[in-house]
Amino acid sequence: MWKYLLEKEFKQFFRDPGLPRMALAFPVLMMLVFPFAVSMDIRNINLAVVDNCMSRESSLLVDKCISSGYFRLVSHGYSAEDAMRLMDDNKVDAIITIMPDFDRQTALGRGLPVGIKVNTVNGTKGSLGSQYILQCVRMYFSDRNSSAGMASAQSADISEKYYFNPGMDYKLFMIPALIVIAITMVTAFLPALNIVSEKEAGTIEQINVTPVSKTAFIVCKMIPYWAIAFFILTACLIIAWAVFGYVCRGNVLWLYLFTVLDILVMAGLGLLISNYSSNAQQAMFVIWFFAVIFMLMSGIFTPIASMPDWARFITYFNPMRYFADAMRAVFLKGSTPADVWYDVAGLGVLGTVMVTAAILSYRKSE
Amino acid sequence: MGVIEINGVSKSYGQLKALSDISLEVGQGEIFGLIGPDGAGKTTLFRIMTTLMLPDAGSGSICGLDIVRDYSRIRRIIGYMPGRFSLYQDLTVKENLDYFATLFGTTVSSSYGTIREIYSQIEPFRDRRAGKLSGGMKQKLALCCALVHKPAVLFLDEPTTGVDAVSRKDFWTMLSRIRESGVSVFVSTPYMDEASMCDRLAMIRDGKIIGTGTPAGIVSGYPYRLLAVEGKRMYPMLKILRVAEGVISCFSFGNSHHLAYDPAKTGKEALLKTMHAAGFDDCSVREIVPGIEDCFMQLAGK
Repeated sequence: MWKYLLEKEFKQFFRDPGLPRMALAFPVLMMLVFPFAVSMDIRNINLAVVDNCMSRESSLLVDKCISSGYFRLVSHGYSAEDAMRLMDDNKVDAIITIMPDFDRQTALGRGLPVGIKVNTVNGTKGSLGSQYILQCVRMYFSDRNSSAGMASAQSADISEKYYFNPGMDYKLFMIPALIVIAITMVTAFLPALNIVSEKEAGTIEQINVTPVSKTAFIVCKMIPYWAIAFFILTACLIIAWAVFGYVCRGNVLWLYLFTVLDILVMAGLGLLISNYSSNAQQAMFVIWFFAVIFMLMSGIFTPIASMPDWARFITYFNPMRYFADAMRAVFLKGSTPADVWYDVAGLGVLGTVMVTAAILSYRKSE
Repeated sequence: MGVIEINGVSKSYGQLKALSDISLEVGQGEIFGLIGPDGAGKTTLFRIMTTLMLPDAGSGSICGLDIVRDYSRIRRIIGYMPGRFSLYQDLTVKENLDYFATLFGTTVSSSYGTIREIYSQIEPFRDRRAGKLSGGMKQKLALCCALVHKPAVLFLDEPTTGVDAVSRKDFWTMLSRIRESGVSVFVSTPYMDEASMCDRLAMIRDGKIIGTGTPAGIVSGYPYRLLAVEGKRMYPMLKILRVAEGVISCFSFGNSHHLAYDPAKTGKEALLKTMHAAGFDDCSVREIVPGIEDCFMQLAGK
């Protein structure tokens, strides 16, 4: 009987005009489009230079900035007002002002005769932009000093090394997170909608008068989506490897293990939603609510550590937080479940709570 | 002992009392009709009998099995066809049938004898998706799915609502054939004209049973004499008739008014005279035999 229940779900799935295509397009899109689109690498920062010195030295500094690849030189002139106007018109994101005595001051090694103004309407762009400018200026000075063969106070070398993602490659950072989003969507929300639509069509009533237990019916409903989740995970990993050349640093099996844990939590949530919604519209709205909160408070886009305390507290109830953290740790660092035991515990506890709540509310609705 | 026994069942939805103190009994191989207007509580009673809902009070049994305690065993021996078409529209006719057969642990071929007569009519469309069937065929498919596990009792909730007159007639013919094979049928309908097709019936209104019996028994229990009054300007006529001397009740029935009267106080001639006096020259009055609907109106008005 289980076999037939499953067969029916798969039949319906493949007969649906949209679902199979969605399941296929989702990971492909996630992997091929989003890593570029959601990249937080800031490029093409529009730069204005107010060069009051106009010496060989000052143009070397400007060249240094432009050659970094982050900046696009929009204007290079004398007038601070012109540059400011450009910023007001949103044509320029950053202004470097080079003082008239730039040459002399730097030769004397007395402080930095450079002013930096940054437009922070877009906060990320602004703060990263100023970082980049500083980095360029620093590089300029270290180059200059080494070429002059002199050691000065400014040549204090700062070297940075990024662990686990040496190139600070944002795509590499996002790929495990995108997998997390894809799997969560498919395993929590699609089955919830499916169950609610059976409610709407009245077919669930017809099933309820048969000797089939509700549990068997629901589990059989969810299994296809679990299969799809594993399919998506596999497809994403293959695309990440084939297209970007990224391979999972850790044991791929751990990725699957965490996916199983996440499925447990999400299946519970999906069932809870379907128990309390009587039509697809209601379910849809609840799903949106959770999807948005889960994503924004997961640490996928913004680090949890920089959230205020109360927000950080909320993230402890967000399964996506644990799942994303674990997937990134395994993918980028090669962690094992023992290393990220807190993620295992978090998902485990949330899963137990969700599934218990789902079963209890489900019994009540009987 | 009856196949279905319901004793004192009540059910409320919050403040709304959907069923109050319902008792009835259905015998083996009977077509039992539950007749009442929309919102009378028919579907609630169905849901309680088919173990989909628990009653607030009262008890019941199907084939001797308790509707609360033995729900899982009851589900094996009943067939239920809800009022709305609730099969999988994206599965074909055959797949739907196979599906329900499998759920009951049987196969279509082993119960083919039971459903053959109905299934043969939709078999040419076995590979068509259920959503693409016509209304009448959907209904036949739903009936097949409800019968595929050879149930002892068949519950049909408003099976003829939204079905054309010819298909309705066909449907009742099918039901009497099903009954011949020993299956008891519990059917609800809002159409009073279908009442005479039942072996016995119960009339329900506002969650209360207002009368039970055979169609003939119910009609013979009608306590008054009945006249049908026809004419032009029906509505003003109704108002005058209702207050006329000796008139017990008067209801509009399609193109005539059915008027119950007390023969001691008035009669055909007296009423005609009253109507002429009131300016209704063209009206005609004739004596009629009461129907189920007349009985329903009379019992509901009590």
